[in-house]
Amino acid sequence: MSLGSLFKRNKKDTKDKKQNGDEDFSVEIVNNLDKNLDNLKKMLEEPNDLVIREFTIRHTNHRGALVIIDGLVDQDTVDNKILMRLQRVNERKDLPNDNKKLLDVIYQELISVSDIKKSKTLDDATNSLLYGNTIFYLEGIDTVLIMDTKGWESRSIEEPMSEPTIRGPREGFVENLRTNMVLIRRHIRDPNLRFKTHQIGRRSKKNLVVTYIEGVVHPDLVKEINRRLKTIDMDDAPESGFIEQWIEDSFISPFPQIMNTERPDRVAISLLEGKVAIILDGTPFVLVAPFNIGDALQSPEDYYERWTIGTLLRSLRYLAAFISIFAPALYIALISFHSGMIPSKLAFSIAATREGVPFPAFVEALLMGVTMELLREAGARLPKTIGQTIGIVGGLVIGDAAVQAGIVSPIMVIVVALTAIASFSLPAYSVAISFRMIRFGFMIAAAAFGLYGIILSYIMVNIHIVNLKSIGVPYSVPFAPSFISDWKDLVFRAPIQALTRRPQYLKTDDPESGNKGRQGS
Amino acid sequence: MKWFEYGDEKISHREIMIAIPSMVIGVGILSLPRSIAGATTGSDGWISLLVIGVFFVLLTWIIAKIASSFPNQSFLSYTSLILTKPVAIVFTFLYTIVSIMIAAYEVREISNIAKQYLFDRTPVEVISLIFLLVVVYAVAGSRAGIFRLNMMFLPIIILVALAVFVFNLGWFRLGNLLPVFETSLSDYVKSFSTGITSYVGFGIILFYISLAEKPEKTPRFAVIGMGIPIVVYILLYITCLGVFGHSVTSNLLYPTIELAKEIDIPGGFFERVESVFFVIWIMAIFNTTVMALDIAILALSSIFKSKDKMRLILILSPLVYVVAMYPKDIEGIGVLGNIVGYSAIILTFTVTVLLGVVGKLRRVKQGD
Repeated sequence: MSLGSLFKRNKKDTKDKKQNGDEDFSVEIVNNLDKNLDNLKKMLEEPNDLVIREFTIRHTNHRGALVIIDGLVDQDTVDNKILMRLQRVNERKDLPNDNKKLLDVIYQELISVSDIKKSKTLDDATNSLLYGNTIFYLEGIDTVLIMDTKGWESRSIEEPMSEPTIRGPREGFVENLRTNMVLIRRHIRDPNLRFKTHQIGRRSKKNLVVTYIEGVVHPDLVKEINRRLKTIDMDDAPESGFIEQWIEDSFISPFPQIMNTERPDRVAISLLEGKVAIILDGTPFVLVAPFNIGDALQSPEDYYERWTIGTLLRSLRYLAAFISIFAPALYIALISFHSGMIPSKLAFSIAATREGVPFPAFVEALLMGVTMELLREAGARLPKTIGQTIGIVGGLVIGDAAVQAGIVSPIMVIVVALTAIASFSLPAYSVAISFRMIRFGFMIAAAAFGLYGIILSYIMVNIHIVNLKSIGVPYSVPFAPSFISDWKDLVFRAPIQALTRRPQYLKTDDPESGNKGRQGS
Repeated sequence: MKWFEYGDEKISHREIMIAIPSMVIGVGILSLPRSIAGATTGSDGWISLLVIGVFFVLLTWIIAKIASSFPNQSFLSYTSLILTKPVAIVFTFLYTIVSIMIAAYEVREISNIAKQYLFDRTPVEVISLIFLLVVVYAVAGSRAGIFRLNMMFLPIIILVALAVFVFNLGWFRLGNLLPVFETSLSDYVKSFSTGITSYVGFGIILFYISLAEKPEKTPRFAVIGMGIPIVVYILLYITCLGVFGHSVTSNLLYPTIELAKEIDIPGGFFERVESVFFVIWIMAIFNTTVMALDIAILALSSIFKSKDKMRLILILSPLVYVVAMYPKDIEGIGVLGNIVGYSAIILTFTVTVLLGVVGKLRRVKQGD
């Protein structure tokens, strides 16, 4: 047997397997209605949510059938816009007798559904059936009509849970892809806004849409993202996190290289900056790439409040990031290595409170740090009403009792609490979580080598960051390689009138985003 | 990855401008005021710092001019063009040795200072080893990454130097600067010889210009970059003298670090600021060490045409460690520092003169 035939046979085998070994099964639609319906039933093995409605088209003796999956379609559309039109054709009694012509008339005149197309393959028909479309078979014709009647239950648009802001739009993305696209379109009415569809998942066949503004985004960026998306090969992507992990540049890095957000306004801002968004059907979390350290500490609110406030908030966040990474490590280093650096009065009081504490500072910090993480995790898992109890039990009871029992010192509790608050004040959860992770690394370094260990760890984190990339764009941008004109929207948030250029590091096709000069006054 | 124009093996002229002060500013300045003050009278040391600085700025400009007239050519290839291949290989090899010694000296010095200001029990061997490991981690990354590190750290370092200056203004006594202009010419010459070792490192442009995107722009930016250490050095030197006076400065082991000790942050937020100062200064020393090791690797790989960077790192870094551990005591380190400083300066000077003179005589132009 030649290699070619072996290959052919294998291919046929898999095809057979897919069709449950049925021999006279055909992937083409045939002329016979009963046969067609039979094929469809065999393919899906007659699930009980498969609804097949056979009927005769009025004033003719042509048989037809509508096939839907119950629950995936909007019943109202199917009943009133399709079925009723076919059964009660009162106006026209001269429907053609010829099958082909009849189908054309149905296609062009009778059915009032905006998205309708013809197809000749069973694969196509079943796939669209599973997407919530309605299939119409007509006796004696090898073509089916596929009508868009999607309409399943979905969550209404709510305020995003993971990124609340005080000022700004209250809309958040939902699980429905189409709704999410609408939310973005409503922000940007640019005809150059592009939505390119990919199909993800061997079995789940989910739609994934890559969004960008043509003429703004660097074309190579889109190309690269599309290239990476095409390499995805898995059964299903239940959440955009799967996509993120598949296409990110380094899977070892503790830092997120792709941003996820629930906020359409944030996506809109990013698209206008020249970034690319990826929307996956079935999840409210939209991915935005590329991402860098500057973005990690930004929130859309910075732009909504006046620039002085925006700048202040940003500096506050840099401080918060510093505290959330360094605070426990500094405590350990100062207590166990450089107690001389603490002012003598404070040193005495710390020494007094640490009198009965049996553990070295590192163990103490680790103990409290882990407790803090547990509390946070418990708070996130519990129902909201009980969640608050955890806060009280953890924060007050355990903290106070631990100090009373002499397991930890009060200063340690302050440090840990401050660290937790600081890491809560970071706008992006995925960034906050990576800071939490490296914090423990810093603590170990501080326990081993004090301040020297901390600075070396800091240098190591920097080395990692300068070598890290997000879809090919250096992660350390715009600090280094430095794009000085981008610095006015970094720690410092310049007045809106001055933000007239898109980020230079994205090398956009259209660098200007506005006119210089104040309007009015 | 050519699809997005962040070529990792190309650097901009601005990055060269940042790299030079990052390389030059290292451990030298920590003890520099002592040696300069020791050789001069009153506050005249700043004149020697300025004179040496200007001399090296000139040298930098000449080097950059020569190197940038051979765009995209490595040190080895343009030196071979001008001075024949064997000579070029010898010089490249010498640069490898000097770079290794610079790296070793920085590693040893940092451990010694760390031992003095941060630890009492941790042995020098361990302190050096972990520092060297972090250096190796940086060198093992992309070369563009090293330049980005410079860019991330240099502003912090300059900020810290400025902070030391500003917070010490309260202790500054103008009388400490007197007398002025009383140093004899021979003393100036003596101070030159001690001062030059602190300016070691600008020779990196001989190697790094081959990576520059726009070599024709680099001389100007290299000169600006070389100006930064001069300003920082003179600023710190004057502050040292103004705060401690001449005799104290010339007797302190690390006057610049002691300067930070004087800082009293209002409210007594924390004490012993000199540890913090030194800890941040580690970044400066780190940058110097990383670039020194990187130059050694760049030079060696151009000789052996080896693409395997990791192997070279694994060979060179133990060598650095061994050399770093060789001096027995603080005097030995001083001797190592002098050897490193003088050999680097002499080498760079010789190479520059040879390249300049022979290049002119033989009229070697690019693309020949």
